[in-house]
Parts: sequence; structure tokens; C-alpha cells
Amino acid sequence: MTESIRIGADTTPVGIRTVAVIDIGSSSIRMAIAQIDGVGCVHPLESLQRAVKLGEDTWTNGSIGNETTEECVRVLLQFRRVLLEYGVTDGDRVRAIATSAVREASNKAAFLDRIYSATGIDVDAIDEMEVNRLTYLAVMPLLTEVAALRKKPALIVEVGAGSTELLLIEDAVMTYAGTYRLGALRLYEMLETHHTSPGSALHVLISSIQRMLDEMRRTVHSVDDPQLLVLGGDIRFALSQMDKEADRGEPREVSVKELEKFSDEILNYSVDELLQKYHLPVPDAETLGPALLSIVMLAKTFGAKSLYVATQTLRDGLLIEMSEARTWEERIQEQVIKGAMDLGRKYRFDESHAVHVASLCASLFDQLQAVHRLDPRYRTMLYVAALLHEVGNVISTRSHHKHSMYLVMNSELFGLSSREMKIVALIARYHRRAMPRATHEVYGTLTRDHRIIVNKLAAILRVADALDRAHQQRISTVQCVLEDESVILTSQELDNPTLERMALKDKDDLFQQVYGMRIELRSHMKVNF
Amino acid sequence: MSTGDEPRYFNRELSWLAFNQRVLEEALDPDVPLLERLKFLAITSSNLDEFFMVRVGGLSALVEAGRRKKDPAGLTPSAQLKKISRRTHEMVARQYACYRDALEPQCAAHGITRVSPEELTKDHHQYLEQFFMEQIYPVVTPMGIHKEQGFPLIKDLSLHVIARLKPEAGSSDPRIAVIPIELGLDRVVRLPLPNQYAYVLVEDVVCLFCDRFFAGQTLLECVPFRITRNADLSVREDEAPDLLAGMQEVLDARKSSDCVRLEIAEDVTRKTLQLLTRELGVADSAVYAVDGPLDLSACMALGSLEGFEELTYEPWPPRNVSGIDPVHSIFDQMKQKPFLLLHPYEEFDPVVRLVEEAAEDESVIAIKQILYRTSRRSPIVAALMNAARNGKYVTVIVELKARFDEARNIEQARALEREGAQVIYGIRGLKTHAKCCLVLRREPDGIRRYMHFGTGNYNESTARIYSDISYLTCDEDLGNETAVFFNTIAGFSEPPRFRVIEAAPLGLRDRLIELIDGEAVRKKQGQQASIMAKLNSLVDPAIIDALYRASQAGVKVRMNIRGICCLRPGVPGLSENISVTSIVDRFLEHSRIFFFLHGGSELTFISSADWMTRNLDRRIELLIPIHDRAGKRRLLESLETYFKDTVKARRLLPDGTYEKVRAGGRKKRLRSQEELYEVAAGRARRAESARQKMFEPHRPQEAG
Repeated sequence: MTESIRIGADTTPVGIRTVAVIDIGSSSIRMAIAQIDGVGCVHPLESLQRAVKLGEDTWTNGSIGNETTEECVRVLLQFRRVLLEYGVTDGDRVRAIATSAVREASNKAAFLDRIYSATGIDVDAIDEMEVNRLTYLAVMPLLTEVAALRKKPALIVEVGAGSTELLLIEDAVMTYAGTYRLGALRLYEMLETHHTSPGSALHVLISSIQRMLDEMRRTVHSVDDPQLLVLGGDIRFALSQMDKEADRGEPREVSVKELEKFSDEILNYSVDELLQKYHLPVPDAETLGPALLSIVMLAKTFGAKSLYVATQTLRDGLLIEMSEARTWEERIQEQVIKGAMDLGRKYRFDESHAVHVASLCASLFDQLQAVHRLDPRYRTMLYVAALLHEVGNVISTRSHHKHSMYLVMNSELFGLSSREMKIVALIARYHRRAMPRATHEVYGTLTRDHRIIVNKLAAILRVADALDRAHQQRISTVQCVLEDESVILTSQELDNPTLERMALKDKDDLFQQVYGMRIELRSHMKVNF
Repeated sequence: MSTGDEPRYFNRELSWLAFNQRVLEEALDPDVPLLERLKFLAITSSNLDEFFMVRVGGLSALVEAGRRKKDPAGLTPSAQLKKISRRTHEMVARQYACYRDALEPQCAAHGITRVSPEELTKDHHQYLEQFFMEQIYPVVTPMGIHKEQGFPLIKDLSLHVIARLKPEAGSSDPRIAVIPIELGLDRVVRLPLPNQYAYVLVEDVVCLFCDRFFAGQTLLECVPFRITRNADLSVREDEAPDLLAGMQEVLDARKSSDCVRLEIAEDVTRKTLQLLTRELGVADSAVYAVDGPLDLSACMALGSLEGFEELTYEPWPPRNVSGIDPVHSIFDQMKQKPFLLLHPYEEFDPVVRLVEEAAEDESVIAIKQILYRTSRRSPIVAALMNAARNGKYVTVIVELKARFDEARNIEQARALEREGAQVIYGIRGLKTHAKCCLVLRREPDGIRRYMHFGTGNYNESTARIYSDISYLTCDEDLGNETAVFFNTIAGFSEPPRFRVIEAAPLGLRDRLIELIDGEAVRKKQGQQASIMAKLNSLVDPAIIDALYRASQAGVKVRMNIRGICCLRPGVPGLSENISVTSIVDRFLEHSRIFFFLHGGSELTFISSADWMTRNLDRRIELLIPIHDRAGKRRLLESLETYFKDTVKARRLLPDGTYEKVRAGGRKKRLRSQEELYEVAAGRARRAESARQKMFEPHRPQEAG
């Protein structure tokens, strides 16, 4: 008597969770605490902000100083205390990221290690693509809610402390995402270190910003009369001063002319005067002028008469990502997949085989949830790896899996970070031949957790690839059943699965090794052993 | 803008003196029960002590430093001191006239008699001599004064006796000794007499037997005196990185700063007085020679004598008006609706219960609490310790700079720390004056935050005599911002921009001015606009200017300001639409309530802040909007009641004097505190009977 267990996605309803996101930026560390309810809605509980000098350190000395590191430790220890007060003790409920100032510091690894050992908070220094993706996640709801943003191409801009982000969305699809290494704090530091006289300071500012805008205009030349949506603390502050009734929530429209007037006024004040007049935190006072000037010049460059100001931040993106509601995440997945398809076509892949293997992978991933226990996010990465597993053929069919890896690793896909791209590349690499080994280059650079993820996903890809050995898409659906120590695959479409079974025998090695289970293909029509 | 040469603002010191005068008028009022009049007199005296230490002390320091900067009323520090000195001398004369001509004789008529040394019977003389030898002589040490050693250190605000002895043979130098009357001694020594309360003052006993200290010498003169020193030493926090240690230094420093007042019995000889003023460096204008006992704050003890209840106010015990059920969980009840409590007409218990229940409640994760002034054995502090012991995250912001409460606060802070609470000793350079408590509770449907906001201290004893507001709520928006507010004062986060609440020293002044100007704009546009505010003090020139602008726009501004008011009301072209009244009655008016009609939306707030420059710039204060309709209505009702007062209300006139508001014509006799008590009692009765109707207790039927 064999008891069969149907394998399906885990659908246990999730209760209310308290989660937190920490964002280690160039001039401050911020934390947002929120509750995520059963249907995935995010309810903010509180937010904290503390000034730190990460950007100043990185951009003047190239690395983060000890004093600044210890200040970050102190701040994070205090934040952790607040988390304890909310009963957030589980590391899974805290997502901590660091942006450009940490990413660009020469002692990034030492800094992150110190933070981890002193606070237990595992900070992820995310790359620019990841920042773009999170920003996109944060503003996605607005793009459907606000009519003005639906009608025209939407250009989303955030002038941060360390860099300026630009996302272009046309017909609800992201068509461009870029990050420019020009931020308000960088500008301020530049003026500070060169001891520019007040008169020439403005001139230096304008020409630096202009250089960035020229570069932007070159990359996004095609966009016509876009609707600007501007994010960031500086523009939010400007809005609060220009429009007293402005409240959180709805994005507000601001005329560029008025913003320019206000920006001119701000640029006339020294930082000390701003502190006095507006009671701003010091880092905010330092970046306000350069940031507003950048926004005004950018708006003019793209010929915008008005712009929308939204209150969303990177942290909203992180929270949405942590919430169970995957609606916006799905939108991103679509984008990722669309990008991967474009990439595949560029390398002239066998599209029908690629898509077929990818969909088999997705099906296997879902059905084997209880076995692999991976976050749904990896489903997309597996899917993309499946789409791209044979792109290496464009270079040579010999060792094409290795070529695939390099091609994927050196490509950019909106929505996936470079680390995620590395994982995708490795899954593709291990779709055939040698089993992953720690001595392999690239693979060896991954953490153990990530190596296991690559193994698990590559094992599924091998199975799916075997099921389409003939490149004829003979099996489009399979059912997985767990039986004893085996996974039994059945398909109703195939009366003679010999070829596939042979292929599977050839390729189930990794699966057996990773999951400790044999995998068998049975034809539904007649059971034969 | 103002008419004539009158300055736009009143001087705050003179305005404060006018307030103390209003308190003194209560002591003079024959309609006030006798022992309460004694208490009012005692209050004017201790008020003056603090005024001399802090305000006169501060101004003297300015004069000494050569500062000549004028105050908003156009007076230099020395001009202010001159005016203050004239007013305080007048006031002291009236205090003693009140004591001598009214209170003492009337007390005697009711059996509370001060016996002067001359009136003592032989038996009593003997009794006192024995008392002196047993109780005073062993603990009191006269300090001989020797030219070469200089004058001994005289303790601030304590009673002393100066004794002048006959010079030694062959010398003409006076021989002087100072006898400190130790604080441990009771001021009043009761005589063994049945059926009445006859007493002698301790300094009289010391003088009576003073020669015992100087055996074999001739005592020429023996006079009690008392000095007041400048207390206003600013704590230079940047020079004292350890705040706690810095505070203790201030406590020590208080014993040895400059003398700003010398009080002495009127019958002192010129010789002795000259010697004292010279040695202590006291100006003639700072000498207060009084005809009666020094330090009338001793009357407080007499005012609280047991057995004379017919000479006190009838008790107005606090009631349960809000209907908060003492049996059911306070959290469940707050979840149903917010509660607004008017103390002292309503019980303070629910506030204490919130913290006590939180300490025991399993779902509570964290408690955050600001403590400014608490009672000696505070149940709130006990509950916080209990909570820390029970593993809750307890954060307490203890304000060490609460004037004259420092020692007690330091002690409590250390005790809390020992129990594992996180104690934060305020923010550098700012006094934490906001009153709020936040309880974080994990409930099945998520984290919920319960809060208490108050206008008064977490002190259940003063809550019985101060009129204050409590607001108990679990409103989500308030919760979000209050959490951020706590993080800000704990130093965990930069100050944010608040949307619902507002805090000093961040945006409170701007917000208030915005609200006041908003009324002016609405009035000009023909919308409904008016302002009502109740507070303790109005000093800040920027806020006063905004109120003038509102008046000029035609906005009716009604203000109930118990104490200092630097705004000059009723001046045509400047402030003719502003009226200011002050209420001094049995309860100390302490709540701050602000109301802006705002075109009909009736924005209503409670606050910990007075509209004083120091509160808005150097204190952590809170402004809390009351959106709850029932709470708003109660606040408005109480505000209106104060403006209808024709018994205890005094109206501020354009010349800075106050006159009593009288009933007459359409104005009925109404005493606001009485009215508020009656209304509260009526509601409590109705609520009680409603409860009884709902829950008929089950009684077993009697057999047969």
C-alpha cells in the first residue's frame, strides 16, 4: 500500500505579520515598520530616520571610516530595540539594504561584516538595478491609480543623495531604467571639497547637472512629452512648503515654474540659514538646494511644465516585496520575462523549446514546492534561466552551457539584481554536463545558501530539459506525485515516453543528489515498468 | 499700531505679580472658608519664594553682567527690578495685613491660636523650656562669627536666628552668632491645651531660650531672619557630558549663590540689620522687614489641621463620569471608544489603570512613558517597574530638570533602571514637559497602540487639585505619530514632520500661528472664525502678534489665562476683539485647551504647552487634536463654562490690572468650578443609575 501525497503550493493563510525594512542610505539610515495583513495590505506603523555620514566618507575618502561604522552600529542597535518593542525578533521579518554609499565603499565587505557581527542585522548592499526594481515596485500602484500617469509615458525620477534614478514607463511597461552617478549629496560634497566660492558654486552645480542631463537625454531620446513623477525627501519638503494642504497619499501636481521659484529661494540660503529657517535635519539641509536644482533642470530638459510629487520611497518597495500580495511583483515578473525573451531573441535561441522548458520548469517548481521550499521569487529566476539556458549556442554548440553562463552574467535584465543574474546564469550553466562543484569559477563565489539554491533549481531545469529532449514539445503538462522516496511524473499526452525516460536517466543525477529522491516518468496511458 | 505710547506687551514679571495678587485676594475673600484662606496665603508666600529665586535672581544676574537689553514691554532689567521691588513690598505688606488683621484673629476665634512669648503662662513656659532642652538644644548649633573667618554660609530659605551679645570687656566689637533652625524641626510647637489648638512658632521658642546657648554672656538681641538666593544657574550641558552628574552639581551649587532677598522681623535693631545686610551683600531694597512670622508658607500646615473641617471647602470628590468600568479591561473599553476625562471632577484612576493593566497584560509588549513630576510613592512608577520585571520593554523618559523635583526624579530613575527599564534622561538643552504614555499591544488583528495624553503630570495626588485633561485613545494616526515622537525624544530618530500631532520645539509655534492666522484669513473671506484658548501663561511675542492680527481681522478671541498674560487686550485698533479672563479658585486651573472655529470645522486641541517662549523653544511639548465628537463637546462645554464665570473670574483690563467679573443684568451668578463639579456629579449619577438598570444584581429570594 503506497500512500500518495499530492504535491502542491503551500496555501496556508498567513496572519498579520509585523515586518521592518531598513535602508542604509548615503546620508541617513531609515527604518519603516509596518503590519502586513492577511490579504497582503501594508499598514505602516512607524518610521525612523537617523543621519549618518556614509556618503561623505565614501565620496571623499573612498571608504567608510571607523567612526561612521560605529555610528551606524549604534543607530542599528537602537533600531533593533524598537523592533523588539514590536515583537519583531525573527530575521526573516527584517529586510535591510544599503545603497550607493556602502556599495561604492572600498571596505564594503568589512563594513557589512561589522554591522552583522555587532547587530545581527544582515544588510544587503543592493545594486542599481535592484534599486530600480524596488522603486518600480513602490510606484506601480500609482501608475494605475493616477489618471495623468496613465495617459502619457511616465518618467519617474528620484534625485537621491548618491545617485539619480530614472525609470521610463510606457503603456504600463517599463521600457528604460537607469541610474546616474550624480546625487545631491555628491554635489554638495563636491562643492565642499573644492571650497568653491559661493558665486562659482552655482555655476559648478549647473554644469555638473547639465552633464548628467545630456547623458540622460542621449539614452532616453525617444520619449516624447513625458509626465514626470518625482520621488524623494527633497521634493516632498518643497511640496510641503509650497502647498500647505498637501497631505500624504495622493500624488500632487506642482508647476515647474513655481518649483523653480522655490528652488531659487532655497539656493540663496546657506545650509545654516536653512537649518534656522526650516528646522531641517542637517543632511536634508545640505542636499535640498542641489536636489531641487537637479529636478528643475531635468523637468526643463524633458520639456515638462508640471510634475507630480509622490511620497513613495524605496522602503515602500521593500515593504510591498515583503507583503504577501504579489500583484505588483507579478507585474515585475512579466517585465523580467519579457526582457529575457528579448535577450533570447537577440541570441537567436530556439524559442519554442526555450518557452516550453520554461513552462515545464514553472509547473515543476509549483508542484514541488513542498520539496524545494523556495520563495516564489526563485520561480522567476528559474523561468528566466530556462528561457536562456541554450543562448550559448550562438557562440558555439560545444560547451554551450558555459557560453550561456557568460552571456547571461554579462546581460542586464530589469527587475533582477546582478547577484540574481549570477544565480540565473549558473542555473543555465548547470542544465547539462558537470555537476556543480565548489571549485568551479563563479559558482565558487556564491554563499552556501545561494549554491544550494542554484543546485535545487538547476536540478529542476535538467528534468524539464530532459522532458523536451526531442525539442518537439511532446509533453506540455506533467503531474508530480510523491511516492516513498521518489517523485513520479505522469503525463497524459505521451504513449511512448522512452526517449524522455532515457534523457531523464541521463539528467536526474543532480535531482537525486540535491533532493535525495529518484525521479521517474510514467505514461498515464499504460503503466509499464 | 497700538494707541499712544503704551507698549504692545505687558511685562511678564509684573503680570506674574498680578497673578499672585489674585491668589492673595482669595486669602482676603471672607466668602472663602478660613483654613482655605490660610492655604491661599501660604501659596502666595511659596510662590514668591520661587519668584525671587528664579526670576528676581535671573534679572539680578543680568544687571550684574551689565545687560541693558529691554524686554518686549520696553523695560531694562534694572527698570524691571525696580518695579518688581515696589510691587513686592506692597504685596508683602498686604500679605501680613491679611495675616495679622484677618486670618490670625479669626483663627483664634475658632480655637487655633498662636501664642506669643509674652502671653505664655508659667506652665507653658516650663513646658517649652523642657521642649527646647530636649528637642532643639541637642540639634541646633550656633555659629559664632569671627571677623577673620568671615560670615558663615547661610542656608537658602531656611529660618535662622541672629543673636547679638554684649561685647567683651574692653572691646566695642559686637559679638554675633547665627543659629540655624534645622529643617527637621516642626515649625509649629503645639501647647498642651485641651479643646483648642494653641501653638508657638519654633523660632519664638529658640529666641525665648536663646541665652542657654551663651551661658555667662549677656544677650542683647535675638531676631529670626531668612534669606533667598539666586537659583537660576543655567546648567551648561555641553560642559557636563554626564547629565546626571551635572544635575547633582546644580543641586549642590544652589546652596551658595547670591542673596536676592532678606526677610527679617520688623523689630530688628538698625545695628543688627546693618551688620546682616553688609555681610550678606543685600541691597536695602531687598530687605523685607515684616510684622509677623517669617515664611507664611507655614500656614499650609495650619490650613490642613484635622478637626476643623467646617472651616474648609466641602469635599468635591472625583467621580466616574466617563463610564469606564473598573472591572473590565481598560484596553477593551478604549478599543470601543476614546475617553476624555476632566480632572479633578473625574477620577484619575483610569490613567493609573492603563499602566497597571499594561504591566500585567500578556499581550502588551512595550510601554513608553514620560515622567515629569510624580508623587512620592507613585503607583505609575510602581507599575512601570512591575512591567519591566514582567519582561515588557519599558522606556521611561525622566525629566531631571523639573525644577525642585530633581532629587526625587533621580532617585526614581535609578530605581527604574535597576528593574531593567530603559531610562532616558531627557534631551540635552530641552526640558521634556509633554505628558504622554504609549502602550504597545499585540492583538489578534495586529499591533494596537493605546495612549494617554494629558495636560497635567502623572501624579495622582495633584490630579485631585489641578484642573487637567486626560485623553485615552487607541487612534491609529495618533499612534503612528506618537511612536515617532517617542523615538525622537529617545534619540532614535530625527524629528519628523508631524501631520496630526505637533511638538515643540519643532513646529508647535509655527502650527499655532498657522491656526491663528487661518482664522484671520477665514474671517476676511466671510467665513465663520473665532478662537478660544485656555492656558496658564501667554508670553510669546510671535503668538501674541498673531492674536493681534486675528483681532484686527475681526476674529473674536476669548482667552482664559490663569497666570501670566503679556497680551494687552481691548486696545482699539490692536486687540479690541480679544478678551482675557483669569480664574483662581479652589482647584488650580492647569489644563490647556485650544479651539479654532475654522469655518465650522471646530478644531479642538489639548496641549502640555503654555504659549511661552521657553515652552515653544526649549521644551518638548505636545499638541494633540481631539477628533472624537463627544470629547470635543465636553471640552467646548467646559471652555464655555469658564467664560460664564461671574464669581471667580477676573477680567484683564487694557492697563494691565484685573477686575472681578460681576453677575448682573443678563449675567447670572455662576462659579465655573462649582458648575463643572455639579455637571460632572450629575452625569456620574445618571451613568451610575443607567448601569444599575442594566445590571440588576441577582439576589437569592428569602425563604418563607
